[in-house]
Amino acid sequence: MTIKLKKQVIEILSVLKKKKTEQIASLLANELNIDYIVLMAAVNDLIEYDLGGFKEEEINQISLNDEGRKYLEEGLPENQLLEIMRVSNAKEISMEDLLSKSKLDKHIFYIGLSNMRKNRWIAQSKATGENKIFLVTEKFPETDVEKFLKSFKAQPTRDYSKLSKSELIQYDLLNKRKLFTKQNKTQRSIFLTDKGKSIKMSDIKELKYISKITSEMLSSGTWRNYDLKPFDVSKSGPTLKAGKIHPLIRLINEIREVFISMGFTEIRGPIVESAFFNFDALFQPQDHPARELQDTFYLNNPKFAKLPEKDRVLAVKATHENGGDSKSLGWRYQWDENIAKQTVLRTHTTATTMRRLAQFYRTNDKTPVKVFCIDRVFRNEKLDKSHLAEFTQIEGIVIDENVNLSDLIGLLSEFYRKIGFKKIITRPGFFPYTEPSMEVSVYYDKLGEWLEMGGSGIFRPEVTYPWGIKDPTRVLAWGQGLERIAMLYYDRQDMRDLYINPIKWLRQQPY
Amino acid sequence: MQWIGLDLEDINREEQTIKIEYNPNRPDFSSPEGIARALQGYYEVKLGVPTFDIQLGEVVLNVDPSVKKVRPYIVCGIIRNIDLDEEEVATLMNIQEHLHWAVGRDRKKVAIGVHDLDKVKPPYRYTAVKPDSVSFTPLHGDGYPMNLEEILLLHDKGIEYAHILEGKEVYPIIFDDNNEVLSFPPVINGVLTTVTDETKNLFLDLTGTDFNAVNLALNILSTTLSDMGAKIESVTVNYEGEKEIVTPNLDSTKWQVEIDFINSYLGLKLTPSDMIKCFQKVRIDAKESKRKGFLDIYIPAFRGDIMHPVDLTEEVAIGYGYFNIPKTIREGCIGEYHPVQVFSDKIRTIMIGAGYLEVINFILSSSEKQYTLMSQKFNESKLIQIANPVSKEYNTTRTTILPNLMDTIRFNRSEEKPIRIFEVGDVVVLAPKEETGAKREIHLSAVSYHEDADFTEIRSTLDFIMTALGLYNEFEVKVGSNLSYINGRYGDIYFKGTKIGEIGEINPEVLLNFKLEFPVAALELNLEKVL
Repeated sequence: MTIKLKKQVIEILSVLKKKKTEQIASLLANELNIDYIVLMAAVNDLIEYDLGGFKEEEINQISLNDEGRKYLEEGLPENQLLEIMRVSNAKEISMEDLLSKSKLDKHIFYIGLSNMRKNRWIAQSKATGENKIFLVTEKFPETDVEKFLKSFKAQPTRDYSKLSKSELIQYDLLNKRKLFTKQNKTQRSIFLTDKGKSIKMSDIKELKYISKITSEMLSSGTWRNYDLKPFDVSKSGPTLKAGKIHPLIRLINEIREVFISMGFTEIRGPIVESAFFNFDALFQPQDHPARELQDTFYLNNPKFAKLPEKDRVLAVKATHENGGDSKSLGWRYQWDENIAKQTVLRTHTTATTMRRLAQFYRTNDKTPVKVFCIDRVFRNEKLDKSHLAEFTQIEGIVIDENVNLSDLIGLLSEFYRKIGFKKIITRPGFFPYTEPSMEVSVYYDKLGEWLEMGGSGIFRPEVTYPWGIKDPTRVLAWGQGLERIAMLYYDRQDMRDLYINPIKWLRQQPY
Repeated sequence: MQWIGLDLEDINREEQTIKIEYNPNRPDFSSPEGIARALQGYYEVKLGVPTFDIQLGEVVLNVDPSVKKVRPYIVCGIIRNIDLDEEEVATLMNIQEHLHWAVGRDRKKVAIGVHDLDKVKPPYRYTAVKPDSVSFTPLHGDGYPMNLEEILLLHDKGIEYAHILEGKEVYPIIFDDNNEVLSFPPVINGVLTTVTDETKNLFLDLTGTDFNAVNLALNILSTTLSDMGAKIESVTVNYEGEKEIVTPNLDSTKWQVEIDFINSYLGLKLTPSDMIKCFQKVRIDAKESKRKGFLDIYIPAFRGDIMHPVDLTEEVAIGYGYFNIPKTIREGCIGEYHPVQVFSDKIRTIMIGAGYLEVINFILSSSEKQYTLMSQKFNESKLIQIANPVSKEYNTTRTTILPNLMDTIRFNRSEEKPIRIFEVGDVVVLAPKEETGAKREIHLSAVSYHEDADFTEIRSTLDFIMTALGLYNEFEVKVGSNLSYINGRYGDIYFKGTKIGEIGEINPEVLLNFKLEFPVAALELNLEKVL
């Protein structure tokens, strides 16, 4: 069986086969004049095919420091001094002379002198009154210390644990003179496995890597001569800057689908709205606090809206003043047409719902009518994490004969079940334009809590009668803010996050 | 609590108090006594309309017709044998505040005066006087007399409520028989009748612009004090030259409601006696009427929220328990998406395919962002103007989406490039012919932000969009000029002869206004025209 290896790996394998013994990796790298990392990468390739391997051992490496290397070049101080005396053929010399000729540091000079004495090369005398040095022998064989020092010429680093007993003595001597640095190091030795030793070089083919196939290679068939460089498949790629739908739009579309599946038709209405449709038609008295400036955006331009057909305006006026034909007492005050003409940014989608009731009247629609609206509304509020000046409201209504509160609870259960809340509960609430009114809470499994969601109710007769919707035809309605659901869906704590488009979040947010 | 329509806000175990939120249609819930009444019914401790003893009193208040011009209505009551400690005085003030808010529309519709009865001498007189003709020492003042004009100018409460009397020639006032001032409604009482923990008997005056509202507030206040253990005594209010009434009038209001109507509204099949029980649990009396199939209903005088039989259906629902109401499902109808939304979704699909990330922004905007930062000139009178903006940040609506996208890029400018974003959404523009003087239009805007963003890139995007819409042969880009874009790298987009949009490289001045460091290539299309 042939094995494919990179050119360099093949070369290293053949070197190892020739050497036959284990090789210290760092030395081999030096010898082959290649980078250590390259060598080890090649060894890894050998390991992959069970041709080779390496083992590690802790070694104490010793090598000469700067001073030691200087002595390796110039000789130990004692040898340098001896050389001075021998060159000048002097059998004796004064200390001062020797010091000045040696150009050695005084401290080093004395170390040299003391070692000359230890080597029994010299004697000292002050007999003449002068401090003199005499050579006492004529033979100066190479000392053991010198031999040891010189061994570092061939091997700049040596393994401490492999020093012989006599070398250890010399090492200690020189180490006292602070000529060494000692380093703990992991040494790797490379070896061949039996398979590596026995494999024939003829069984090994060269691996030719390319990073991509060109069209030319494909058509000419030369791609067969190459191998494609593998990728690190475990690594992530750079972020793809792709297109995605905004999470809030996705949620809106999911809810739209729920409505459609329940037989509701989507409606859309003006953003700049008349107070008439935003408030008056909803039986909100003209002095109602919700109409005040701090809750509603009024407009200076356009300042007034046109009111709808005269007879309907009069019908709304009558319900406010005395209940009209709705059998209500009404609010019992004088209704002012001019207040109804004011323009506002609609504060709820119910204004659009009201327009649908008006259309119901005008086109004499047949019941049942089921419509929904998911759209922007505006409140004159200071922004904080749970209040926005502009947000999205969800609203659904049913116009039908004999529909009742039980039907509304049924609708709510179905609606919330479809958007992911299995349990709902309703309790008494208050909204100016519905009666009875219900607050809706849903059970949120993830938190194990009941959460208030929205409001619901049956439109008051005062709201529906002016548009010809009379008992037993009634209007069921419910609504809530989209953001409440969005914050749960997308686990956000601040409502503002939904409208500031942090691109990182948008790119990462799962569908 | 929740089953009678109250919201439990907070429980403080240490102080043994609970905080409750009630709806504005039930001002009778403004005192613990009022809530207790409802709970007694719900737990069937006491059923039906609560009874209150009321003694016919001899005190008279005369109403001068001159008040018609300024504050036409007044009703009064006397509360005897009260024994208020400091805490109860505080409760009394608290209810007063709540009623001012819930019924009184911040004193405009109803203002309440509570006085120490024993400091003044009946009969009393409610009249209207010239602002500088009467002086008295007001409560919470500096302790010396002021005339009515001075009070409105200098006194804290005067300053706060002066707007209610704005433009009036005469101001309302209540005198006693010695011409001592009890009150200058709706502003402030005289110091003379200050209520303290020594006070034994109270005189209540409620003035306002709505006869039903002043009565309701009086009824709530007097029944609450009665529940605290005091005795109610009536006052004769004599509207001079018109009528004489005795207040408070705590008689129940009678209604007649059809049993089938309520059952049909709620989707229930209650028998008359079941329904009567439901009413009693919400402290309303009910009995079978002589009229077949109907109930006679008696509403306590502290309830002001019943104006139509549907209001009674809610009472039955509460008595029955919302949680007991069944769920029913009705079938029918075929749903349909709105064409504008369908088209918007189509555009979204196209843009995603072009590699653009969707963003969404507010329609509310500022003229600064819309025009100044975009180097556009603008005419205030051609803009939608918000009369009462919360901040300068929102003083108009957007007429193009592009400035929002520029802002989105500014906010994200350190994110990995290229940044390609789009938005499909509404803009609002003036339209004098429309019913509300304005109309919404659906726009698409897309921008590309990176080192090499240029006209060619955005033009390819436009071509892709128009091709995907099947309109490639029906549009053209003509050389144009636009202050937000670079001259020579800008074009107007035309569709069937009308301009529908803009495309080009953004002017470096504008880039700097938005603190951007790379070029932006952008387009904006008015989709109404291609729908």
